[in-house]
Amino acid sequence: MRRPGLRVRLMAGFAAGALLLCTSIAVLSYELTRRSLLAERERTAIRVTYFDATVVQAGLTTDHPDIAEVLRSLDTGPIRRAVLRRDGTWYARNVDAGVTSAVPDSLRTLAERGQPGVQRVRTDGHAALVVAVPLSPSTVFYEVHSLQELESTFRVLALVLTLVAGATAVAGATGGWYATRYVLRPLTSVATAAQEISKGDLTARLDPAAEPELAQLASSFNQMVDQLARRIERDRRFAADVSHELRSPLQTLAAAASVLARRRSRLDERSATAVGLVADEVARFQTLVTDLLELARSDQPPERTRVDVADLARQVCRSRRVPPQIVHVEPGADPVWQVDRRRFEQVLGNLLDNAERHGGGPVAVRLGQSDGVAYLEVDDEGPGVAEEDREVIFYRFVRGRPANSRGDSEGTGLGLALVAQHVAAHNGRVLVLDRPGGGARFRVELPEGS
Amino acid sequence: MPTVLVIEDDDRIRLSLALALEDEGYTVHEASTAEEGLINQRKDPADTVLVDLMLPGIDGFECIRELRRTGEVPIVVISARSDTHDIVAALEAGADDYVVKPVAVKELSARLRALRRRARAAAPAVPTLIFGDLEIRPEAGEVTVHGRPVALTRTEFRLLCELADHAGRVLSRQQLLERVWDYGAGDERLVDVHVGRLRQKIEDNPASPEHLVTVRGLGYKLQR
Repeated sequence: MRRPGLRVRLMAGFAAGALLLCTSIAVLSYELTRRSLLAERERTAIRVTYFDATVVQAGLTTDHPDIAEVLRSLDTGPIRRAVLRRDGTWYARNVDAGVTSAVPDSLRTLAERGQPGVQRVRTDGHAALVVAVPLSPSTVFYEVHSLQELESTFRVLALVLTLVAGATAVAGATGGWYATRYVLRPLTSVATAAQEISKGDLTARLDPAAEPELAQLASSFNQMVDQLARRIERDRRFAADVSHELRSPLQTLAAAASVLARRRSRLDERSATAVGLVADEVARFQTLVTDLLELARSDQPPERTRVDVADLARQVCRSRRVPPQIVHVEPGADPVWQVDRRRFEQVLGNLLDNAERHGGGPVAVRLGQSDGVAYLEVDDEGPGVAEEDREVIFYRFVRGRPANSRGDSEGTGLGLALVAQHVAAHNGRVLVLDRPGGGARFRVELPEGS
Repeated sequence: MPTVLVIEDDDRIRLSLALALEDEGYTVHEASTAEEGLINQRKDPADTVLVDLMLPGIDGFECIRELRRTGEVPIVVISARSDTHDIVAALEAGADDYVVKPVAVKELSARLRALRRRARAAAPAVPTLIFGDLEIRPEAGEVTVHGRPVALTRTEFRLLCELADHAGRVLSRQQLLERVWDYGAGDERLVDVHVGRLRQKIEDNPASPEHLVTVRGLGYKLQR
């Protein structure tokens, strides 16, 4: 099972803590309140009973008192009932006849021994308090006080306390949610910065002053990014420096090779072959260095201008002796794009060269728009590109097999990598598809409006 | 025979370029420093100058400026530096074209040829083209603003004539590259920098040009 997130765990912890704390406080306060209310009630009951007892005592001083009448004279109200036991006989008002059963035997025994007492009992399903006051050795006055009212008070109290505990738990969970949000916010900014960096923005940094607790994380993070940026810059610079340093000797080679090539006819066969090899390789070397330099700085933002890509495609075709009539603009599509002209010229040129080298020559260049993308397709009728190679061919120094065996020099292995980089710099993508009817279709897609 | 002055401090490059350019039919004057090149050019002027940017002593930029002060010889920069910044700086100093090392000799000689052709280009057969205070006499190779003669390099002059030939109509940067520089597809910065330099010379207020105006997204046109 997946471990729940920090946020969920913190929220649950806060809620459980709040619930536990609140429940114990509630239980404690319920118990204390109940005890103090009961004690208070007991004291009142005893006082009232003694008062009533004196009244009854006074009524019994006559020789043959009407005990029921005496009891009836008490102003007891509905919550207390008075009974008298004299010489083993119960006396009570008619309405209170059943009350005698509420008096527990233990209390009766105690009282008949001349000791007053109080006992809590349950009668008719309700709590009650029985107070016994011996009036004489043979007479005991009992009063049964109903605690029904107090019971309902306790019920309400319990309900309120339960609700409070529940509410506190919810408040605890909310507090936990806020706390985690607060705690996680700096982490969110770390995540955002990391995302920016992975997208290629190496200037993204964290502010160590913003979150003092995370200052260490922020500064380590920044250091890491600094180092990463330095390394990337170093690599880029290295490629640029190497290519740059190669340019001067290459210039000499190129010029000298052309001088030799011009005299090929005057050389013997072996020398002529060697000179041909040198001249060809120097030419390839030259392209390689140019491509490498281009690649080294291809991550820079494109200089976008309005470019008629169809026009550019025709121009590039002409420069490669490909009939410009193969360029089609789909009906309704706008051939004017906002792109870096120089880099797009290279994209087109490299795709055409690729078709020439591996696909037996380009057969169509198509410009169109669909589903929010402007696309450019270059078709060839070659063997196509195998499914598993469709990503790899855009890597650096990956070369396909030449489709023709005319023996022309191999490519640099950078052409398609450059295409991919240039297109990516324009926020677009390039992919290889099957051309219906055989062959490869290279498709460049740019977000519409660019 | 056309002559070319090669100013390049790397002996090997200079020697190989001289050999290759001689094969292409040029008489080559060699100089390893800007100072030497400037003296050579004064004594025995070449038709075109090929100059490196990184030179000991006076650097390439200063050398171009100096050559410009004394004449309108076509200048091609040959540099290992391909940053936009360097290219634009060299063009602004007065170079007509630039190539980045390593350049194939065929390409280089095509550029030089185009430049010489441009220098001799047949001007439109109209005696005087008048654009308000700007007057162009293509055959005489003269341009005046408010009646005062203005010194233009040959490339600037060709550019102005091309625009004047199509007065009131927009020419795209690509069209200008093809017609003035003989490029099938080239660097549009060449056009922009030269238009800028031309404006400095023919406009009263180069920052808000009256004659040589930019048509956003399309190109340039010359108007009254």
